[in-house]
Amino acid sequence: MITYDAIVVGSGITGGWAAKELTEKGLRTLMIERGREVVHRKDYITEHKPSWELPLHDARLSVGTKGAEEYPIQARTGQFRESNRHFFIKDQKNPYIEDQPFTWIQGDQVGGKSLIWGRQVYRWSDLDFEANLRDGHGADWPIRYADIAPWYSYVERFIGVSGEKLGLPQLPDGEFQPPMEMNAGEKLVKAGVERAFPGRHVTIGRVAILTQPLNGRLPCHFCGPCERGCSTGSYFSTQASTLPAARATGKLTVLPNSVVHSVIYDAGKNRVTGVRVVDAETKQTREYQARIVFLCASTLGTTRLLLNSTSPRFPTGLANSSGALGHYLMDHHFLAGASGSIEGLLDHYYEGNRPNGIYIPRFCNLGDDASRRDYVRGFGYQGGASRQGWGRGGGERGFGVELKRKLHDPGTWSMGMTGFGECLPRADNYVELADKTDDFGIPLLKIHCTWGDNELAMRKDMAASAAEMLEAAGCKNVRTHDAYRGGGQLGAEPGFAIHEMGTARMGRDPKTSVLNGYNQSHDVPNLFVTDGACMASTACVNPSITYMALTARACDYAVAELKRGNL
Amino acid sequence: MSESMEHNDLITRRAALGRVAFLLGGAISAPTLAGALDAATRRAWTAAPQDWAPRTLTGRQLELVAVMAEHIIPQTDTPGARAAGVHRFVDTLLSDHYPRPERDRFLAGLADVDARTRSRHGKAFVDCTAEQQVALLTELDEAAYPVASDAPRPPEAWFFHRMKELTLVGYYTSQIGATQELHPSPFGAYRGDIPYASVGRAWS
Repeated sequence: MITYDAIVVGSGITGGWAAKELTEKGLRTLMIERGREVVHRKDYITEHKPSWELPLHDARLSVGTKGAEEYPIQARTGQFRESNRHFFIKDQKNPYIEDQPFTWIQGDQVGGKSLIWGRQVYRWSDLDFEANLRDGHGADWPIRYADIAPWYSYVERFIGVSGEKLGLPQLPDGEFQPPMEMNAGEKLVKAGVERAFPGRHVTIGRVAILTQPLNGRLPCHFCGPCERGCSTGSYFSTQASTLPAARATGKLTVLPNSVVHSVIYDAGKNRVTGVRVVDAETKQTREYQARIVFLCASTLGTTRLLLNSTSPRFPTGLANSSGALGHYLMDHHFLAGASGSIEGLLDHYYEGNRPNGIYIPRFCNLGDDASRRDYVRGFGYQGGASRQGWGRGGGERGFGVELKRKLHDPGTWSMGMTGFGECLPRADNYVELADKTDDFGIPLLKIHCTWGDNELAMRKDMAASAAEMLEAAGCKNVRTHDAYRGGGQLGAEPGFAIHEMGTARMGRDPKTSVLNGYNQSHDVPNLFVTDGACMASTACVNPSITYMALTARACDYAVAELKRGNL
Repeated sequence: MSESMEHNDLITRRAALGRVAFLLGGAISAPTLAGALDAATRRAWTAAPQDWAPRTLTGRQLELVAVMAEHIIPQTDTPGARAAGVHRFVDTLLSDHYPRPERDRFLAGLADVDARTRSRHGKAFVDCTAEQQVALLTELDEAAYPVASDAPRPPEAWFFHRMKELTLVGYYTSQIGATQELHPSPFGAYRGDIPYASVGRAWS
């Protein structure tokens, strides 16, 4: 059996970061990925393909349609289409059980979801890190903004983030490349909102997409659909960024098509010693050893693995002396907001497919009386303006030459925004292992998760405040929307935001949390979890950059501890 | 087919259309007259790849889709739905994308179109005059898009709505629709606020 210095389970956003950091610090590292190999550039098989070269012209493959047969869960997300289907997991071979609807979107390849992520990156602030302590929901975070701020900078400088500095305490600025430009409709709404609501801001999205060259990666060329893969490496992905850096050290081994079954624990030493792997093709079992193990297998992938790693010392799952493992599952709740039309500006247009929109930072419950609401925590908005395209013809009467002439020009401007709201950590939102196992002999995950009263109350404000701002900005035909239907129906149920977090939370107290302030298991010192499973709350901003910063920070700590002989 | 032959064919087509339109006093736009032309001309227009054959639609159904699609997005100074292969796109979607109930519903909609012209004119839709075809499509369009948004919609509304959407999607995501009628937004820079006059048409 080969022994490595470190094993990293998973090759997505955090696995790539762990591999880069650990190898750059001199550790011989094995990165294990359950899915297939995806080679940068070569395997972006639909990149830049025009619609007419795709048999279905890049149809959205919704549930129940042909083309989505193997993906009954993945097809629920609007992102799933003909041109990117190959970057999603095949659900039929990787089932799970939903006690209530929970849409679990997964990658299944080297690079994981870093190939298809939304690329929006926002720092947390102390408003977020102190939230659990302040209102008593969840366990207090063991870190504060000052602990992670330098790591945000470290990550931003490496991945490349374009955005605008605002100087807001609730949304700290970062190390930004020049921001992308707003279009005329967005500028109009920005002016209207900021005039009517002093203290609110409409800014261009902060994205891990380059507007300047960086480390051999090229600035964005605005082709549009990032999630097909990017040969110029203009958006952050494992393939474009962390994997080349890790490979350059000569210390990385990548093992695709290898499903980690469980983590091996030595009770005598109280250390993990490696992992048990099932070959995805032959189903044969192998073992790999290492001095430290980083779990970066995605929020629920990691927790499933821990739950399946039982021993007399940890009968309910590895590193679960607290009993918190599997609990406090969260996701952002979204798909509540508003849209409206903008009159005029018909002599304005734009050029290029900007893979980004606008962002409105949180403006409620900031700690002052004026912003206080009848729920706790808050939300931000993502959205954008555009001119209607040819698709509008399908919604109006008329056909023939007149229709064709009409669609030759773009239509009126419209502006839409949807809130991304914080979700409270609740013990009764949890995952457990079912009796049934999958093809790899791993018990299926059973997921129990619902929104609570706080989320539902916040959603009302997400819709109403969006409408209020659009109206103040002069938009017409303003309509609110809320996709939540309740009663166990799909619409805006947990999972849809693909920001699932928690189930192996960080905390100060080993009795109530799984990980300490360095993402290190309270119970087993050489075991680290740095993906979304570690989160003790969700804030309202997209989580990936926080995972990256926590990963880099945890690697720094782990290697220092290893050198000190503590692991 | 060589590029120049395609080009010649296009010119002939346009000339033929122009003549018919002139004869009818231009009351009906030239391209909507596709159905009035003879079968040989229609076949020439189809310009299908040599080895292509429909997998769900019959030959007559394929022609029905092509004729309706060409009425919805006709040839003007740029090619229309038929030249863009919308009927082939529809057959591909019906074969490789639509769940069976939805496919059957669409096929029933096609049958209903023919049933209507048979009861009215004793002929299948494609054998009707262009005026008869346009008259029926106008009725279907009005039923599918009632002026009052809360008006009840008859069963045939679904079909025409879908037919129109398929035509628009098939056309504007085809090479002809996306690069001749409209233009794809160029790769390179993003410019958020430019004069519309500098572009002059919608991005595909």
